[in-house]
Amino acid sequence: MTQADRMRPIPIDTDPGVAVPIGDASFTVALPDFEGPLQLLLHLIESRQLDILTVPLAEVADAYVEHLARHPVDAVNLSEFVVIAAQLIFLKSKRILPSEPLPPLPDAAEEVDEGELRRRLIEYRALRDAAVGLGARDGTAPAMRREPRESDLPESPSDPMPAGVLAAALATLAAIPEPVAPPPEIVAREITIGQQIDVLRRALSGGGKVLLQSILARCRTRTEAAVTFLATLELVRRKQVTAEQDEVFGPILVESAESGA
Amino acid sequence: MTDHGGAADLGAFLEALLFIAERPLTSAEIAELADVTRVRAEAALAALAERLQEEERGIRLQRHEDAWQLVTAPEVGARLAAYAAREEARLSTAALEALAVVAYRQPCTRGDVERVRGVDSDYVIRSLLHRRLVAETGRRDTPGRPVLFGTTFTFLERFGLTSLDDLPPLSSDAAQLTALTAMPGPAAGGAGLADGE
Repeated sequence: MTQADRMRPIPIDTDPGVAVPIGDASFTVALPDFEGPLQLLLHLIESRQLDILTVPLAEVADAYVEHLARHPVDAVNLSEFVVIAAQLIFLKSKRILPSEPLPPLPDAAEEVDEGELRRRLIEYRALRDAAVGLGARDGTAPAMRREPRESDLPESPSDPMPAGVLAAALATLAAIPEPVAPPPEIVAREITIGQQIDVLRRALSGGGKVLLQSILARCRTRTEAAVTFLATLELVRRKQVTAEQDEVFGPILVESAESGA
Repeated sequence: MTDHGGAADLGAFLEALLFIAERPLTSAEIAELADVTRVRAEAALAALAERLQEEERGIRLQRHEDAWQLVTAPEVGARLAAYAAREEARLSTAALEALAVVAYRQPCTRGDVERVRGVDSDYVIRSLLHRRLVAETGRRDTPGRPVLFGTTFTFLERFGLTSLDDLPPLSSDAAQLTALTAMPGPAAGGAGLADGE
């Protein structure tokens, strides 16, 4: 956009249904570029000298959308502009149909909260004003000085890297041997229900009775314990053992069905 | 104990110590070097800062978090430029906005800055980091552990602030807003935020 474009008067022809206190048709404003939607919204409110605390935000919906249509914004922030536009249009639609309860929104959509948007505007304004205050103090030199320090130097050294370093690095890289296969003992152990059934049977071969917790205590991993438990359930299902537990979390006594019969 | 001369002696020692120090010294370091308790050292540092200010001396004591350094007074900054020229580009509006959010809301994340500004702020924060006006201060203990940013001594030097306490308060609406936000939603109805009509 050329400078001439921006200087051309931009008519603010608002919807006749929306009261915006700008009577003078010759009123012109050279709009700066807006980086963010709150900046634009605040500008629209302030340029109309509306009270940010009380103005229905729907009143500036048209001007906002019109500005957006005329001045394409940076793609990075486009979605932020569109979100605010959608909220303003929603607020305006509620004002046009004040008595009609609106159909419920789809579950995912949140009701637009005018108070929340207003809060964001007020917070943004306070920090923008603080930024202007900082800008007024900002010169081309620090306001307070101290003796120079070594740490003031740029972090990354700007010396060019000699090409030899790269060649040496490549040579070192080439010298690194292929990774060797991991030793067999750290290969993940696979535990099957069948194995744990054998473990249970061996334990039962002594007296025909065993405390399940005493076997679980010997398990090295959570998985092994879980599989052992499943193995016990499998033996119960096959009616090869019985399992008794007097109370919740109490000891579980596993007994061979043959010995019990 | 080297402490035989009382408060005036301690003040003079601290002034000399900070004069030769080549980096900001923490309260704990200063207390150890002065061989006094940390409480006593901090009281003496605060008194020194006040005295330099009140006597309109050419140097000031600057504090950031619990570290201290001597700097030139902001009143003479412009005249010093003739001797120590260190030209820097002024900050852009966007950079000033992001810096204001960090300064007033620190420690805060990039997300906090973006929520207040309603604008992607990755680039401006990186430029503030590069200029050492802000620095990483840690990570917030929330999902993703986002990096927290705070202002630096360089920030105080650039804007002529003796400490963060010198930052002007935010505008009164913001204070009103904080009060409103603290209240439960519907109860705030009668107050400043009239609803639509």
